Amino acid sequence: MARLSKGEATVSELAKPFGLRQPTISKHLRVLEEAGFIRQRRDAQHRPRQLVVGGTLKDVDTWIRPFREQWEGRFDNLDSYLEKINKRRK
Amino acid sequence: MLTDATTKTTIDKNTFTITFQRKFSAPREVVFAAWTEPEHIQHWWDPTGEPLSDCTVDLRPGGSFKFTNRDSAHSPPFAGVYRVIERPAQLVFEALGAVGTVRLEGKDGMTHMTVSIRCSSSDHLEQFLKLGVDADTERTFDNLVGYLKRTAR
Repeated sequence: MARLSKGEATVSELAKPFGLRQPTISKHLRVLEEAGFIRQRRDAQHRPRQLVVGGTLKDVDTWIRPFREQWEGRFDNLDSYLEKINKRRK
Repeated sequence: MLTDATTKTTIDKNTFTITFQRKFSAPREVVFAAWTEPEHIQHWWDPTGEPLSDCTVDLRPGGSFKFTNRDSAHSPPFAGVYRVIERPAQLVFEALGAVGTVRLEGKDGMTHMTVSIRCSSSDHLEQFLKLGVDADTERTFDNLVGYLKRTAR
């Protein structure tokens, strides 16, 4: 965020100073984007991020999303597991 | 598979309750067993699909349970105490200060499952939701909050 306050930057420019891999940085950026703090500018090849001033941190859906995905993943597993043991019973 | 493979999620901010609803094409006796027997639980509990590294269940009111993910560094064990056991219709437990209720309704060999997680306050609900956020993301938010505070005028 501090880096973006100085101007827009691409994923590789953002990843470098932290020594992080690009997928890791991309994941963080996605969270910040969904929360409305930053946005992507479409360029020919690069998609530099810009800082959006005045986002709302208390956005409930942003908080619930990882929690919801965790339980959904769990229930998806349960669904396929039940299918497997149901077949075995028949 | 006939199952409608989607989970419906609702949040009631007045009762600090998160509710998940899902249908399964299995009888509710089987779904109940899947929730209460370690040899079943270990195969589906971890959202990543990895089997649990440890799963202990003392299925009686006041009995405790502990589900430990293989990747325990990122996801702490899910541990708590059973409160109500009504095979195969209902299971109530306490975990992380919240009350979890699993209700199973059966029809034509299918099961409609409702899982609700009731927190004690809105702060507790928020805390609870944040547990699902992995530590790195949460740190990112902490850094961000600090940053916004410093730059706010």
